Amino acid sequence: MSVFRRLALVVAGLTLWELAARSGMWSPIILPSLARIGPEFWFLATSTASLLEVWHSLFRGLSGFALAAVVGVALGVLMGRSAVAAAFLSPIFSGTYPIPKIALFPIFIYLFGIGSLAKVVLVFLECLYPIVVTTHAGSRAVNRVLLWSAANMGASRGRILARVVVPAAAPFIFAGFRMALPIAMIVVIITEMISSADGLGYLVMYSLASFRTDRMLAAVVAISLLGLMLDRLVVILRDRLVFWERLESYYAE
Amino acid sequence: MYSSQAANWRAFDFSVSCMNARVIGWGLIVLTLGIWQLVALGEHPEFVLGPAEIAGDFAAALRSGELLPHVGASLLRSLPGFALGSAIGVILGLLAGVARSLDQMLSPLVFLTYPVPKIVFLPIVMLWIGIGDASKIVIIALACFYPCFINAYYGARSTPTIMVWASLNMGARRSQVFRKIVVPSALPLVFAGLRVSLALSFILLFSAEMINARSGLGFLIRQSESSLRFDLMYVSIVAVAALGYASDQLLLLARRRVLAWQEVRS
Repeated sequence: MSVFRRLALVVAGLTLWELAARSGMWSPIILPSLARIGPEFWFLATSTASLLEVWHSLFRGLSGFALAAVVGVALGVLMGRSAVAAAFLSPIFSGTYPIPKIALFPIFIYLFGIGSLAKVVLVFLECLYPIVVTTHAGSRAVNRVLLWSAANMGASRGRILARVVVPAAAPFIFAGFRMALPIAMIVVIITEMISSADGLGYLVMYSLASFRTDRMLAAVVAISLLGLMLDRLVVILRDRLVFWERLESYYAE
Repeated sequence: MYSSQAANWRAFDFSVSCMNARVIGWGLIVLTLGIWQLVALGEHPEFVLGPAEIAGDFAAALRSGELLPHVGASLLRSLPGFALGSAIGVILGLLAGVARSLDQMLSPLVFLTYPVPKIVFLPIVMLWIGIGDASKIVIIALACFYPCFINAYYGARSTPTIMVWASLNMGARRSQVFRKIVVPSALPLVFAGLRVSLALSFILLFSAEMINARSGLGFLIRQSESSLRFDLMYVSIVAVAALGYASDQLLLLARRRVLAWQEVRS
């Protein structure tokens, strides 16, 4: 998709919004014009206090995601390459996969307090599943001939895992990352909306409650941009690290 | 991770039978519950309840009618939202996968906004159409739309060209090609999308209910938590888990029936 087309899309959307806002059919509280959202966004992007809110959300999301990435890849590779581990772990993962982990949030608040920890744990838990599932699939799909020849040439098991299995599963692993990262953002924003005194999710709810919808929309735009940027970051990282293969799926394009 | 003693090469083949895996897995779940029960028997804070206690509370909540109205309220929000969002997503995704003009119109918009966490639109939707059920249904539908669209789109695009050529060659009309070739070959991915959407619909349902609702399981969890009714809190969490699990199993059952012709993959 060309850059021009994306740009045209954004401009068209903004124009439509501004026309609707200026038509006078809706109150400025329901549909604030860009002239009011813009300065709020600028304030959000430049003032230290609001950058701190962005940092809180980013920190929670990324630390939960990073934990899930490390643990998830390790578990996925283990399950993919060891029958015993798969026998133990895959029933647990497939059994608890469809359960919405967000329901555990109140318990986590009691266990880990109302600060960042409960949110990071929930992000970790929600991100873990897609990463484990895709890594598991990826490390099972490794071409046996590669494994055999590596073993034949005297590679140890650790070396085979590090030099053959993980690189071969890398396209899958990154597909899992790309599924998990938006989930991390969703969970951070949700938990901040439900119970928090900082972060972007809190800012959205607080602005709504005080009828500052222009500020709320500025925060929504900021969250959306963050989501987009993080997704791009994963794609760029993947394109540098996994340049040899593409899967037939959106998550890997 | 790998002790050299246990390093038999058979482990590199995936050779433990499904049956064994099931037994071990269930054994592990039973073991976890057992340990949890033992912990709950000892000294513990007030908010820790054992599995046996929760089971008793669950039965009590079912009898007293504290639970079922909220289950109904939740389902009345999540099912219409899921049905609406995934139906639109699958249909538009399939069409965008085959029709170039629709593809160029829709796909940039969908792919651009896909990584945006949809829950941030909940306050906006609340502002526009009120804080009732409609705003929750809309936001669930919006979230369910994306995975369905993307998977149906890729499913339709990955239709083997040779089959399309063959059927066109044998005189099939375009609508027939779509119905008999494109849709069946997209179905596995469509179901994958539906499964993701289903899980997402529950996440959004419960968080929307936790943020702002007067009924439903998410509301019940929050309310019982803040009124220190830990029994009811655990009961509603178990109900959430059961709903999520049951609906996923239903979807998998539907997939097995619809995709009976497909070779079985895990």
